[in-house]
Amino acid sequence: MEEPLINPSIDLKGRRILAVDDDRINLRIIGGILRHEGYEISEADSGEAALEAYATFQPNLVLLDVMMPGIDGFTTCRTLKKTYGDKCAPVIFVTAKSEADDVVMGFDAGGVDYLTKPFRPKEVVARIRTHLTNQQLAEQQKLLVNQLSKANADKDRFLGMCAHDLRNPLSSIRGLAELMAEDAVGGMTEEQRDIIQTIHGASQSMLQLVNELLDVATIEGGHLKLDKQPTSVVEIVERSVHLSNMEAAKKESRIEMVKTDGFPMIDVDRNKMRQVVDNIISNAVKYSPKGSIIHVVIHSNATSAGFAVRDCGPGIPESERHMLFKDFGRLSARPTAGEKSTGLGLAICRKIVEAHKGSIAVENLPEGGAEFSVSVPLFK
Amino acid sequence: MIFDGSILLVDDEAHIRKFISLLLRHLGVTRIFEAPNGQEALVVYQREKPDMVMLDVNMPVMDGIETLRALKELNPDAVVVMLTSLANRQTIDEAVALGAANYIRKDAPPEEIGRALAETIDACFESEDDPPAP
Repeated sequence: MEEPLINPSIDLKGRRILAVDDDRINLRIIGGILRHEGYEISEADSGEAALEAYATFQPNLVLLDVMMPGIDGFTTCRTLKKTYGDKCAPVIFVTAKSEADDVVMGFDAGGVDYLTKPFRPKEVVARIRTHLTNQQLAEQQKLLVNQLSKANADKDRFLGMCAHDLRNPLSSIRGLAELMAEDAVGGMTEEQRDIIQTIHGASQSMLQLVNELLDVATIEGGHLKLDKQPTSVVEIVERSVHLSNMEAAKKESRIEMVKTDGFPMIDVDRNKMRQVVDNIISNAVKYSPKGSIIHVVIHSNATSAGFAVRDCGPGIPESERHMLFKDFGRLSARPTAGEKSTGLGLAICRKIVEAHKGSIAVENLPEGGAEFSVSVPLFK
Repeated sequence: MIFDGSILLVDDEAHIRKFISLLLRHLGVTRIFEAPNGQEALVVYQREKPDMVMLDVNMPVMDGIETLRALKELNPDAVVVMLTSLANRQTIDEAVALGAANYIRKDAPPEEIGRALAETIDACFESEDDPPAP
């Protein structure tokens, strides 16, 4: 990072304090105490003068007498808060010892603290230091948050660029290996074929990782654009069940759709929602033993619709549940036929579903296995 | 064989040209020309008059959209298929509006690319075999 790191020690010297009092002597006393502490002081003898001085002096803190001719301290404070909002410097009211009601009203008007006259120098210095320190810490925190969110955005951009540049070469490697394995450039020995298939498998899983990283970068960078269309839940799920059944057949597993009445329509980005359905169904196949039957159910109510996938896997251990939908949240369960997992799939699903204002959840089934359920608002 | 015409393949990345041309040959296409950017593609297009152009979107010197525009100026009936990696909706819409016949994601598996290509060929050339309407 180019930005200087924040200095953890708090130096309050040179901080600007606006002291407001119609009593010249009070101003002189307080000015003396504070200048001695290294603060820069500006003085105003009325509420009106204070509002003017605030604009030019831009103080870090305001000491405001309550009882003044013209507009009083409370009104001055409210005006400052209204004008400068969150950026307004903290206001400490100055009040006579007997006026206890003033204190309450002062807090209502937006003051952070109060000082009573006659001043006790040590109290004045301590209270002012506390509020200036608080203010400085808040500023530093804001700066730090800004730096961190910029660094995070840089990271996402870098990740996106990196993944993007890796994609094309990787897809060429995978495609060329696949064509070679199909004898597109002539036959080969068993060993050569084995090597080519290894290259194909490795580039395939790397491409998937790169694609998922790119998805994460796109979503995290706020660049996820949804191309929403009214879509039938049944249609989108049926298509995915059909395609996933080919993969499942390799493990002698089967995906069955539980028929339901009705064809609920949802308003979704079809490609993105397909990605969610594909991912959840392929996870179910991946984590269920060979020869399993995976059930897919369509559900709907008055406001939302979606689907649920019931697998025959080990279920989600309670202690790992919190990691399930997080980036790289790989759990202890392993795919049952050596399939690959990037740990990003469900995190991406969650982000896509949430972008549709929907929800994704998991329940362990009493008969074993887990049920992943996705709901999104109905198309209206 | 899906197609007995010739194809001009335009992409700045040599490995993509190698992959797609091998795939095309695998599918039975025998006459394949290649160009690494839009400018060279226009030269080859005029010299070889290919039946179809497969055109990358992001290229140095002269990008795909600009090249598509120039090709359509040379020959309004030119059959151009855009090659994309990240399907950017806006770019695809722009290409289609300019007269691109289809777009193919070059990061898709070979069989998917083959399928998309066959579809495009069916759509753009099959109808020419039919007798012209009276």
